[in-house]
Amino acid sequence: MIRVALLFSLVLVSACSSPRPTPRPDLNGLLRQSVNSRRGPSLGGRWLASLGQRNGRERVELIDLRSRSPVPLPGLNRADAQPISVSVSADGQRLAVVQQREDRTELVLYRRNVGATQRLPLDPPGVPRSVSLDGSGRRLAVQVSRNGRWDVDLIRLP
Amino acid sequence: MPRSLLILLASLALVGCNGRSERAGGGLLATSQQAPALSGSGEWLAVVSDHGGRPTVQLRRLSDGSVVSVPQLSRHQPHSSPSLSWNGRYLAAITQRGRRRLAVVTDRLNGRMHPLPLPGGRDPVQLSLAPDAQQIALQVTDQGRWRVELLDLSDLLEPDRPPGQSLSTPALSSEP
Repeated sequence: MIRVALLFSLVLVSACSSPRPTPRPDLNGLLRQSVNSRRGPSLGGRWLASLGQRNGRERVELIDLRSRSPVPLPGLNRADAQPISVSVSADGQRLAVVQQREDRTELVLYRRNVGATQRLPLDPPGVPRSVSLDGSGRRLAVQVSRNGRWDVDLIRLP
Repeated sequence: MPRSLLILLASLALVGCNGRSERAGGGLLATSQQAPALSGSGEWLAVVSDHGGRPTVQLRRLSDGSVVSVPQLSRHQPHSSPSLSWNGRYLAAITQRGRRRLAVVTDRLNGRMHPLPLPGGRDPVQLSLAPDAQQIALQVTDQGRWRVELLDLSDLLEPDRPPGQSLSTPALSSEP
């Protein structure tokens, strides 16, 4: 009986000590405090891009997880644009954004070092929905609606 | 310099800045493809495509367009929100278990699958795996609002770093 109890407790201890994912309460508290709602996360190393809603308006936000502080994105969140999807490169320098603006949905690339967006045309034309950048920010995959079906386009960027 | 040449050069620069686009291709079947995710290296692409009416993650090597099987993700459809680590070793996605949604990370090197249950019985909506696979961001619904929560995976998964990236190993001392 003692042997069985010993074996059982050993099994229990080994199960309890198996590696598990652990929440990041410090960062999760920060992510919860700053906005009413947050969605569409994209992790690039130490950078977290997401769409945060504050005062009824959704904006692209970039957070430096190392310093636990938001990074300014001048020129990106225009008053007439509604972001739909965002993806960040591994160095946090490039953000690809799908946004709705003036009744059209467009794909844009934002470079932090120049603080400006550049529209990326789709060929053939279509309506973008969801975007993913690779680590270098030089290759992009985007989900596009064309003729009633979803395609995925790959775009190489200079 | 003639003005026409200047205009030509400016046009070429503009075209160059717009990038070159290509279609990802349909793989085995030219089906609808959604939720694309590139690996950090840009060598791998995961999408959700329709397989017999069940949204299923499909992984493709972009260098030759080949579709690579992920046996750990052959069940538990519908799948959504795939995400890849730097070299495509780890593939995270949201799967279905009964009435619940469950985020999982598959390790393609050893075939293991790591479930990531959320505390409080909440369901994940969308996820993003860090390129080195040391943490994951999960979008969840909490009291009628969307939240993003981070989980540390460093005790669970080996890092998947870019080739040639130096590790934080202390330098060997020349002293005996």
